[in-house]
Amino acid sequence: MEPLVAAASVIAAALAVGLGAIGPGIGQGNAAGQAVEGIARQPEAEGKIRATLLLSLAFMEALTIYGLVVALVLLFANPFA
Amino acid sequence: MMTQWILLAEQTSEGGLFDLDATLPLMAIQFLLLATILNILFYKPLGKAIDDRASYVQGQIAQAKKQKEEALALAQRYEQELKEVRKQSQGIISTAQSEAQKIVSDQIQQAQQEVIAERQKASEEIEAERVEALSALEQEVTALSRQILEKVIGLEFAQ
Amino acid sequence: MDLANTLNLLHSVNLAAIEVGEHFYWEIGKYKIHGQVFLVSWFVIGVLLVASIAATRNIQRIPTGFQNFMEYVLDFLRGLAKDQIGEKEYRPWVPFIGTLFLFIFVSNWSGALIPWKLIEIPEGELSAPTVDINTTVAFALLTSLAYFYAGISKKGLGYFADYAQPSPIMVPFRAIEDFTRPLSLSFRLFGNILADELAVGVLVLLVPLIVPLPLMILGLFTSAIQALIFATLAASYIGEAMESHGEEHHD
Repeated sequence: MEPLVAAASVIAAALAVGLGAIGPGIGQGNAAGQAVEGIARQPEAEGKIRATLLLSLAFMEALTIYGLVVALVLLFANPFA
Repeated sequence: MMTQWILLAEQTSEGGLFDLDATLPLMAIQFLLLATILNILFYKPLGKAIDDRASYVQGQIAQAKKQKEEALALAQRYEQELKEVRKQSQGIISTAQSEAQKIVSDQIQQAQQEVIAERQKASEEIEAERVEALSALEQEVTALSRQILEKVIGLEFAQ
Repeated sequence: MDLANTLNLLHSVNLAAIEVGEHFYWEIGKYKIHGQVFLVSWFVIGVLLVASIAATRNIQRIPTGFQNFMEYVLDFLRGLAKDQIGEKEYRPWVPFIGTLFLFIFVSNWSGALIPWKLIEIPEGELSAPTVDINTTVAFALLTSLAYFYAGISKKGLGYFADYAQPSPIMVPFRAIEDFTRPLSLSFRLFGNILADELAVGVLVLLVPLIVPLPLMILGLFTSAIQALIFATLAASYIGEAMESHGEEHHD
């Protein structure tokens, strides 16, 4: 692998994961906060809220995972190598 | 380290992380087979067991409900009968009471009548005796007065 | 330098090593397949078969022990399908969605719980079948086929007329969705499980004992949730393909 391509790939991989984590991070924080608020307001609905929260957290998590997949492509299956 | 991995990935000339090959269709076929087999082995028999149990429980509940209704109806009937019997006994008691009352009053009346009759008879007898006595007295008075007259005035005047 | 030496030492004693993108190739005719995926998937299938046989060998009205557990599982799967597809139509789809969930779940957990890496194979390493992109793409494509089949068998070719349902502008979006759905399904599962294994692998590489445990437990949790999400999404796609827009306006 060319050193330049390797360096660019590593930087790109880091950016893909790092930047990709920002949005879902904010989203997950929002969702969790709202869920806590909901539980505080209606403690009897805790089970349902928790189930929905976990599912939606996983969906947001998937966005970071896409970034991670891109990073993995760059690191392990680089098409430009 | 990273370069080591990259090199490692590079070294394996074929494959890599995103190596799509015949694994894909075979896995799909294998999965469909598994789904079919599990359908026969797991979903169908156990699902049937669950459904059977549900219908069994449903049936038991319905039966219990029916039995409860029957029991309630029976209880109601018994209650009704009890009420009737109570009413009947009430009637019997009241008729007995009224009969007894009647007998009592009858006998009282009879006794009263008897008493009245007896009294009447007694008074009649008294009256009769009195009349008799009076008449006897009168006769005696007459006889006595005649005697007195005879004695005092003499016999001829007396006639 | 010391650190690097230590790492090299760890590497050399083979306590931990990360291998990515290496496969144990089998050749069938002129096609190549990934042997390590099939080996572990056979193990998973074996577990599922043994479990279902054990549960249904002696079915009793009052369930005990293992039958009870598997009935709980089946109830859960039925609830999952029923929630997404609806009371009327869900029954024929329970095997598909249930098997998706069970296979993915058992694969993920076997990958996280069983130290496959200790078993030496000539090339690559054994791990959960869901770490291989072939498996997840296969499942995602099957899901696509399943919802097309569901929609077309329910509404005939009128299924595609529904693409223009609210307005014809929707057609390209709906068409693109048909491609993004399997893509996101497969990459979500693949990425999550692979990320898990890699994260645990890297941690084990750095600190082999105890420290990776919390991450492993989190991994168990994530992999369970991913199985649930894959099955839920598959069910909801199928349910969406079958729900009729015409009826909605009536009731």
